[in-house]
Amino acid sequence: MRKIFQIALGILAAIGGFVDIGDLVFNIEAGAQFGYQLLWVVVVGVVGIIVYSEMCGRVAAVSKRPVFDAIRERLGFGVGLGALASSQVVNLMTLAAEVGGVALVLQLLSGLPYRALIVLGIVALAVVIWVSPFEWIERIFGYGGLALLVFAVAAIKLHPNWGDVAYGLVPHVDTPDKLVYAYFAVGLLGAAMTPYEVYFYSSGVVEEGWTPKDLGLNRANALIGYSLGGFLSFALMITAGALFLPLGIEPEFIGTVALGAQVPLGQIGLILALVGILFAVGGAAIDTCFSGAYNVAQYFGWEWGKYRRPAGAPRFTVAWVVLLVLALLVIMSGIDPVMLTEYAVIFSVVALPLTYLPVLLVANDRAYMRSHANGRLANTFGLIYLVVILVVAVSAIPLMFLTHQGQG
Amino acid sequence: MRLSDLLNVEVRTESGKSIGRVHDLRAELTPRTLKVTGLVVGGLGLLERLGIGAPTAGARVRTDDVVPWSAVVRADRRGVVVRDGTKPS
Amino acid sequence: MRQAEDLDLGLGLLDHQLVDSEGRRCGNVDDLELEGIAEGAPRVAAILSGPPVWRGRGRLGRLAAWIVPGDTVRVPWEEVEKIESAVELRKTCRELRLGRGDDRARRWVERIPGA
Repeated sequence: MRKIFQIALGILAAIGGFVDIGDLVFNIEAGAQFGYQLLWVVVVGVVGIIVYSEMCGRVAAVSKRPVFDAIRERLGFGVGLGALASSQVVNLMTLAAEVGGVALVLQLLSGLPYRALIVLGIVALAVVIWVSPFEWIERIFGYGGLALLVFAVAAIKLHPNWGDVAYGLVPHVDTPDKLVYAYFAVGLLGAAMTPYEVYFYSSGVVEEGWTPKDLGLNRANALIGYSLGGFLSFALMITAGALFLPLGIEPEFIGTVALGAQVPLGQIGLILALVGILFAVGGAAIDTCFSGAYNVAQYFGWEWGKYRRPAGAPRFTVAWVVLLVLALLVIMSGIDPVMLTEYAVIFSVVALPLTYLPVLLVANDRAYMRSHANGRLANTFGLIYLVVILVVAVSAIPLMFLTHQGQG
Repeated sequence: MRLSDLLNVEVRTESGKSIGRVHDLRAELTPRTLKVTGLVVGGLGLLERLGIGAPTAGARVRTDDVVPWSAVVRADRRGVVVRDGTKPS
Repeated sequence: MRQAEDLDLGLGLLDHQLVDSEGRRCGNVDDLELEGIAEGAPRVAAILSGPPVWRGRGRLGRLAAWIVPGDTVRVPWEEVEKIESAVELRKTCRELRLGRGDDRARRWVERIPGA
């Protein structure tokens, strides 16, 4: 009984944790521009992250090694270092964008100046990570992120044409702006299949000492957690499609996103939306920050762990502190967080094959995985998504240039 | 000499014919030692370097062709020379 | 340790994690020292770990070795307890002089309250 309760709590905390600033930006923008037409891409993305995450979790539970160990072992020192460098660049961009998002929301809530709130936000994050046990961090940010469910309520209250919504789940292209459509499809996939979540999850699996007995839990986590995250993404896109598209609003600001809840639900909608965004993005910032530190520590063989005291894994600690400081510098340069988010998502999509392929290989390696290597189902999906990821990785940057980042 | 010195160097017979590159070193693990027993030789093999084709349960080995060390005449950073007539099996 | 079994050095040892007798992570297998090649009885003499060792690992390895400070640590093969997905050692990392980067960093990190 207690176990079920724990799992339920974990899943609740996870829903809030599965939506980050990339999902917010791309789902709302896609809805505002194309209505419900890209909903099917969200489904593809959610299935993709479920497949990827389940594999990483399984590899971690069976081999007791997290993702970046596998990357160095399979790709070798040089290529592995390249994968490390590219993932750190993407992590840094993502982290800076998330901190910027947090500062923007704090500004909307408090009226204090943006730049001061950036510093306040970074310091607050650093202190929270340094002082709090990680279980608390996951719970607080996870439950706070649940406030994003207000968008589900908003979506319903806006009375969208549910027939059109259902049609959006069928892959089709109904627009003259085919390149812009493709750009948003790529962005949505990238936002759904964020690698840092997978590094973070696999490291957690190793740290918590999961064994092959926990593989069912791994599968449930991946399936339920990301499905619920997908549900939230749906809510965002439907809200934007029902509200912004008919009014011709192009959401360029975080505040506009919150409008999506305020218009149908009033002040309470606005507050819940802002609180939800604050905790979801703040929690994502912590995950991204740790993910970057995990990657470096795992690549070089250092001690690491989110449940350790800072002095228990000193170089790991230095790594995440340095990452926060660098993120501070990046976002203080004045770059727009929403634009930075788009860049971060696009670049993460380009680098995705470098981290997906080694995992797929290790998951098939019977010497590592014994009887838990990929079966036919896992390999079918695994290979389909390898193709999807390669296609998307190759087309992302050209699309970004050709469509001027979706402006057309 | 180090492992990195031998990985990826070319393998030739005494008469100069190239039979591939060193993908890995096959070794035998005993309670006290780790003895090198052969060379895993193959083509340019990107797939092999990524570890594809390493399936046998319990052993951490590749399925590539192995040249037993007894066939090796000389091995260093410049390359490996094996006796004529050696074919990986 | 198990009875005699086959192991491929690059696939099963190189770049794997080193773990000491207390379960502490202390670096990776960055290279292996081989001996007995000329005599026709080659064996692995030691594990090598540390930034200078990366010089043998390709162009990016040389670059990394140039940037990152540190010493080479030589762990004689007799110190290996067993090989799982990580290489488990018989002694602690302190006794083997591994993972000293963490010791150096700890001195700084410990100065901050709450560490």
